[in-house]
Amino acid sequence: MNISIDRRPLWLVFALKGFRPLFFLLLGLFFWYAISMPTPSGLSIEGHKIIVLFFIALALWVTNTIPLAITSIFVIMAIPLLGVMDTKETYALFGNEAIFFILGAFILSAAVMHSGLSSRIALTILERFGTTPRKLILTIFLLGTFLSFVMSEHAVAAMIFPIVLEIAKELDLKPRKTNYGKLLFLSLAWGCIIGGVATFLGGARVPLAVGILKETSGIGIGFFEYSLAVLPAVFIMLIIGFFILLKVYPIDIDSIERARTGLVAKNKALGNMGYEEYLIGILMGVTVFLWAFFGKDLGLANIALGAVVVLFIFRLVRWRDVEDYVNWGIILMYGGAITLGSALAGSGAAEWATNLMLGSSGLRPWAIIAILSLLTLFLTEGMSNSAVIAILMPIAGGIAMKFRLDPKIITYAIAMPAGLAFTLPMSTPANAIAVSSGYLSVFDMAKAGILVSLSAWIVFNLMVWVYWPMLGIR
Amino acid sequence: MKNILLVLSTSRTSPEAVEYALALAKKEKARLITLFIMETEIVSEVFEIFSDIGFTGDKPSMRLTEAMMREFRQRGYEELKKIEDIAKKEGIPCELVIEEGDFLKKALWVMDKYGIDSAVAIKKRRSAIASYFIRSQVLMLKEKAKCPVEIFQEE
Repeated sequence: MNISIDRRPLWLVFALKGFRPLFFLLLGLFFWYAISMPTPSGLSIEGHKIIVLFFIALALWVTNTIPLAITSIFVIMAIPLLGVMDTKETYALFGNEAIFFILGAFILSAAVMHSGLSSRIALTILERFGTTPRKLILTIFLLGTFLSFVMSEHAVAAMIFPIVLEIAKELDLKPRKTNYGKLLFLSLAWGCIIGGVATFLGGARVPLAVGILKETSGIGIGFFEYSLAVLPAVFIMLIIGFFILLKVYPIDIDSIERARTGLVAKNKALGNMGYEEYLIGILMGVTVFLWAFFGKDLGLANIALGAVVVLFIFRLVRWRDVEDYVNWGIILMYGGAITLGSALAGSGAAEWATNLMLGSSGLRPWAIIAILSLLTLFLTEGMSNSAVIAILMPIAGGIAMKFRLDPKIITYAIAMPAGLAFTLPMSTPANAIAVSSGYLSVFDMAKAGILVSLSAWIVFNLMVWVYWPMLGIR
Repeated sequence: MKNILLVLSTSRTSPEAVEYALALAKKEKARLITLFIMETEIVSEVFEIFSDIGFTGDKPSMRLTEAMMREFRQRGYEELKKIEDIAKKEGIPCELVIEEGDFLKKALWVMDKYGIDSAVAIKKRRSAIASYFIRSQVLMLKEKAKCPVEIFQEE
């Protein structure tokens, strides 16, 4: 009998087996060592402690050894225990408007999904416009984009994936063997990703960035204001993204008739649109309109929560349904991130760190934005989009002040690229599901994804130079 | 009659390995047991990414993973059907098994259950760095199996 021997060094075998305890032990030792070091000059004692805590949170968010939300709970608990802020002040940051806005938006999105309205819209659009192989890819791409304007991009990807999987099945595409299979899943993933950065609703990352900005500098960004600033970039990226997709993976089938037959049948099976779907559609439309044009006067969170109350008055959704669709971990994650950002700014640690990193650099403001957006794009490929915002946003205020930039620009330079992960599957659910389908490999995604990421960075920086000055953002 | 096992899974297929297993079974006048394992770990990973990183609710994540499992099962049936058709044509006694769960555990369980004399398995393609840090499940199968295991590279 053949016996294969594990020839790896013994230390590596032990290290891999005991990774978690070793990781936490090292983290604990780092914490103890760093906290007992003398406080650097120019930094307050509270600032020293919060910077150490920031590095611990950074390590946990990057490695994902415990869920993101649990890292946030740890941060919230540690801030008063370390004496950075008192307990009352720390927990009060949980009442941030951004958190309640996200809560309301997620409950509304749950109602749209539960009623079947989102599936109906998806199937109707695919049946109506996906008439040729090329048009079907474009329709999936744009469907992901536009639905992600009003719902979480992850929820949109999860909802459209089974439909795309059935299309691939009906077309008898062999996993990893055909370009068309790759195109179907890449267009789904990238459509959702690009659409997810267009509004406050796409990935809920933008409200987090805006919430941290508000807590740290008192400056707010409106729903319409943000979308107006980024929408041209979104449309340019859609064109470039679609062009790159078809260039890297040319269409290799002639007909999609069998898939169309399946779509027609599925659409028919849905029956007529019900009263609940109509009401939820109208409510969603009115809410988005109010967010866009009356958000500053009425308050984004107030509008979101008002819409949620209306949902329950008309019995359009039950609490049990909401619980099935909403992941409450997001509230904890965002609450912790906002608290950490506020503590870093309030203790002066963010400003101190910015001076330390960029103090003697003679960088021009445009170079700072280019570097920051590139760093964000790079980080977001390897870790959660929200974690990137939680890590970079606290120093945004310090950078803006040092280089006399509008803090909104720095917020955009982090919030928008943080959602644009096109290359790897580990950090973005839409990419993960595309690769897990088996129709494309990580390499297939990375090959085209690098080009799209690079284009996104160029487009973003062109916007900063050309378009934003027209809007008065400098 | 000897029993030869061909182990396929969601992420491990190779026409070359199938061809070899069929030829071996014919030569040895053995029964070919073809096992297709639907790896639940892939689906669990996706569920965790959607839930922990994407903060997607349980219901959409569950629907997604159910769709994936349906697809994997369908792929398994199609793969097994193809092998059964060839085996019938060649006059090779053939048994098809489809299982859901951990690759290594399921493969060893089927080996014990059917008293396997020889097995054919497919190794995933991995970069040198990944191979250094992650032990191949197929190599572990070869190590733990009570019968010889012939290994083919995934195509």
